[in-house]
Amino acid sequence: MSVDALLAVIEAWPISAAMRGEMPGTEWLFPIVETLHVMALTIVVGSIAMVDLRLLGIASHNTAVSRLSNEVLPWTWTAWSVAAVFGTLMFMAKAATYAGNLQFQLKFVCMGLAAVNMLAFHFGAYRQVARWDAGVPPTSAKLAGALSLSLWIGVVFFGRWVGFTT
Amino acid sequence: MFRPFADWLGDTPLSKALQDQAWVVPTSQSIHILAVSIVFGSACMINLRLLGVGRSGRSVSQLSNTLVPWMWRALAVLLFTGLIQTVTEPVRQFVTPMFWTKMLMIIVVTSMTALYAKAVRSNAAAWDAASSRPSRAKAFAVLSTLLWLAIIVCGRFIGYTWSFYA
Repeated sequence: MSVDALLAVIEAWPISAAMRGEMPGTEWLFPIVETLHVMALTIVVGSIAMVDLRLLGIASHNTAVSRLSNEVLPWTWTAWSVAAVFGTLMFMAKAATYAGNLQFQLKFVCMGLAAVNMLAFHFGAYRQVARWDAGVPPTSAKLAGALSLSLWIGVVFFGRWVGFTT
Repeated sequence: MFRPFADWLGDTPLSKALQDQAWVVPTSQSIHILAVSIVFGSACMINLRLLGVGRSGRSVSQLSNTLVPWMWRALAVLLFTGLIQTVTEPVRQFVTPMFWTKMLMIIVVTSMTALYAKAVRSNAAAWDAASSRPSRAKAFAVLSTLLWLAIIVCGRFIGYTWSFYA
């Protein structure tokens, strides 16, 4: 099955029609799902920013990096899962339109790069976190923080721009 | 009663100049969402700790002293980007009750947060230990979380409801 055919199949699902407000009583479904997506993404971005700003030495100087991560990142993952579920529902409404939208594509490029950056940090600088946990992170960790912050800002910008270009 | 003022504001040279730049509103909204992430992310971390939900990490006073100043900075950004959006599209904001409900709730929740931060500063030890935490702490945490959620709902629904009132 080609990608175009798959996207057409997704758009034909009843739940996709409901997301477009085409079923009785679903006129407000998209705005409601979008609002829940926004609530979840603010937790994702806010919690990631706390860790990134600590790595960059801008905030939370008196908290160890590992302690901050353990405290905050479970919420990041929970909220990311919620945002992903509601984001998928929004995608289904106009799958082909979103898939072909440049801003939508760039959003996912940013999120993919953020994932690579996170893995590189986790298996790189973070393995020796005990050496710099309470103090100043090494340059590689600062770089990971700066990259993560920039990429998530990109995710938010491109995400908001999808609504203006589709 | 706000309609004549909205029409006048929308006709000012500043508003016209902003309306002519198609990037202004999406850019301002994207920065607005990033600032909401800081405010709501911080509020949730503090409120969850007050409620005793999640992994234990920093104490209530440590969390508040670190995060509340960031909430004020982000609120300044929210005020600025919100003003830009209001000057650019005054009718969209002033005609819908969503906007006025949002403004009222922002006044309530920011006042509550200022009083909370002052109370924690003046008696950190009592707030840090669950056994001596003031009984109003949980009420503050629940009410503050609900108000921020309602503010996000109203904010997103301004865009979906204003045309009914215009």
